[in-house]
Amino acid sequence: MKRSTIFYLGLFMLSMLLVLSAGCAKKVEPPPPPPPAPEPAPEPVPPARPTITLSASPDSIKKDVEATLTWSSTDADSVVINGGVGNVATSGSVKVSPVESTTYTAVARGEGGEASATARITVIKEQPKVVVKETDLEILQKAMRDGLIKPVFFDYDKSDLSESTKATLEENAKWFRKYQDAQIIVEGHCDERGTEEYNLALGDRRAQASRDYLIELGVSSSRLEAVSYGEERPFVQGTGEEAWAKNRRAHFSLK
Amino acid sequence: MKILNWKILPLLFLFQLAGIMAQGQRPDAVIFPKPTPTRLAVADFSPRTSANPETLSSLEVFNKVLMDDLQFAAFFDIPSRSFYPLKPLRTPADIVYENWQVPTLDVDFLAFGAIQADATTTVVEAYLYDIKTRRQVLGKRYTVTDPALSRRVAHEFADQVVYELSAGASKGVANTKILFSKLRGTEKEIWMMDYDGSNAERITFNGGINKFPEWSSDNKYFTYTSKPDTSNHWSLKIQEVNGESKTIEVNGSYASSPAFSPDGQKIAFSASTPDSRDADVFIANVDGSGMRNLTLHQGIDTSPTWSPTGTQIAFISDRSGGPQVWIMDADGSNLRRLVEEGGHCDSPDWSPNGRFILYSWQAPRQWKHDVYLAEVATGKLYQLTRDFGAGENPHWSPDGRHITFQGTRSGTKQIFIMNADGKHLKQITAYGINESPSWNNYSEAIN
Repeated sequence: MKRSTIFYLGLFMLSMLLVLSAGCAKKVEPPPPPPPAPEPAPEPVPPARPTITLSASPDSIKKDVEATLTWSSTDADSVVINGGVGNVATSGSVKVSPVESTTYTAVARGEGGEASATARITVIKEQPKVVVKETDLEILQKAMRDGLIKPVFFDYDKSDLSESTKATLEENAKWFRKYQDAQIIVEGHCDERGTEEYNLALGDRRAQASRDYLIELGVSSSRLEAVSYGEERPFVQGTGEEAWAKNRRAHFSLK
Repeated sequence: MKILNWKILPLLFLFQLAGIMAQGQRPDAVIFPKPTPTRLAVADFSPRTSANPETLSSLEVFNKVLMDDLQFAAFFDIPSRSFYPLKPLRTPADIVYENWQVPTLDVDFLAFGAIQADATTTVVEAYLYDIKTRRQVLGKRYTVTDPALSRRVAHEFADQVVYELSAGASKGVANTKILFSKLRGTEKEIWMMDYDGSNAERITFNGGINKFPEWSSDNKYFTYTSKPDTSNHWSLKIQEVNGESKTIEVNGSYASSPAFSPDGQKIAFSASTPDSRDADVFIANVDGSGMRNLTLHQGIDTSPTWSPTGTQIAFISDRSGGPQVWIMDADGSNLRRLVEEGGHCDSPDWSPNGRFILYSWQAPRQWKHDVYLAEVATGKLYQLTRDFGAGENPHWSPDGRHITFQGTRSGTKQIFIMNADGKHLKQITAYGINESPSWNNYSEAIN
């Protein structure tokens, strides 16, 4: 037997002894149970987190028009809305008039923290457009085109105003008085039967007679210009009383 | 050498009119006196040496123009060329006098001559011979550098013939001009043409309506009524022929029918001013100063014409109803009516000898105007146009033997010329619408 083997055998025996002696110790009397644990102190309730809602009505506006922001919060001590609104009550509404599209954020702060909500107001950009307003001149032009301002007619070789001629001039004068920003030309015309020199004078007399009556009816004389066309510009071509009657007229045009 | 031929003296026909018309009776037309008229043969001019193309084309124009001028002159009885001797005449040596005295011809005078032209020069030799006395009345040699002037030479010679054979009673009208108003599109401008309608040229350019031209007595200026396209006012213009125009400012809506006084210092015209209220006859100096209303009166007064002495003005007024011819002194006094007739009158023109006033008249129950002549002293009336179409805007020729007017017998308004008795009517415009002819006066100024 070698010397090492004896050493390990002895080590083994020693350890066995130790193990046996340990087993003997557990067989002692059990200790008394420990006292019951005290009731745990209730944990402190954490403060609630605030909530907030924010809405905009209407949510799209034109420039320079107001919209209303409405919010309500819970558990908030303060509410701040950006975009120039600032500190506000915890709920309420405010009118705003943003110049461009804006997203408003309302922040509610409380012990429980903070919460936020947003609402967007879209500002509709108007196309820069020409303001279309008919001028007096255009209104009168249209009225003439549509036959609302009528020519007046005369008897052969006459420049007297008949009752129906006067009635027509009265209707025309209403237009001329209402729409004042226009110069009116009163043209005198003749049929082809007379001679040219006499007709140029007769056309002038017809234009003057019509102009005088319009002045009497309150149309400013400075707006009324009389001109004779004699037989230069017949309204209808042709001969015969039907054509001639249409050509013996005072006709209105605009400068 | 001037020939005073007794046969042509009775042809100064205007002096005969009153005697021919039965007293107190309105005749239908002026009747030409019918004493033996001067018989004139107008032979075709011949090539002088060679019948080259330039000579032939000059001859073609010259022969037609000369014949037209002498026929229209209304002094001559021109026998048909078919009776003429066949032998061409170039020089006086070619005349066989007996051949021109056969019964079918029996002419008093013979006009003939020769032309030679090349590319640069045209030479016209023109003769007038008295067949009875076998003497030369006229022998003229004209040299022109523009072949287009053959027409002009024919006019010159025609006027010479008229002057000689009328014993100086007329200088002829072959070289006269007529102003008129021509519509093209919407523009009515003033044009000028030869008395026979040739060489028409536009002489106003304002794009508006231009009417009623009248010459100054020296023919250097004309005056007219104008409404430029850009304006609503009628105004009066005085324009140098082919030169600048100036405006006579009239305060009012209407100004029309200007006429130069015979001395050229004043114009008479019609205008409607804030004071006159309707058309009145005014006079003013030609620079527009000294404007004066002669007819401050309710109603239309227009179309003034001066008497040849400048002492009276005839005009149109409707103060008695329809427009009629009235006469007043040039200061507005001594007003009287020319003719006591109804209907409508316009456009009077006083004759160069002062004896007659020409105007257009639409007689009662007539549907159109015709040209009439009234003797100023007696109020006797002569109708000069009739039948188809109207006759308006009549105007005397400078020798008082012819009349131009605007007629519609061809459908549209055109310019006509005729003898002062209404005969020998000739249309001288054809295209467009042509109005208001004004015959010029005797003067050397217009060329």
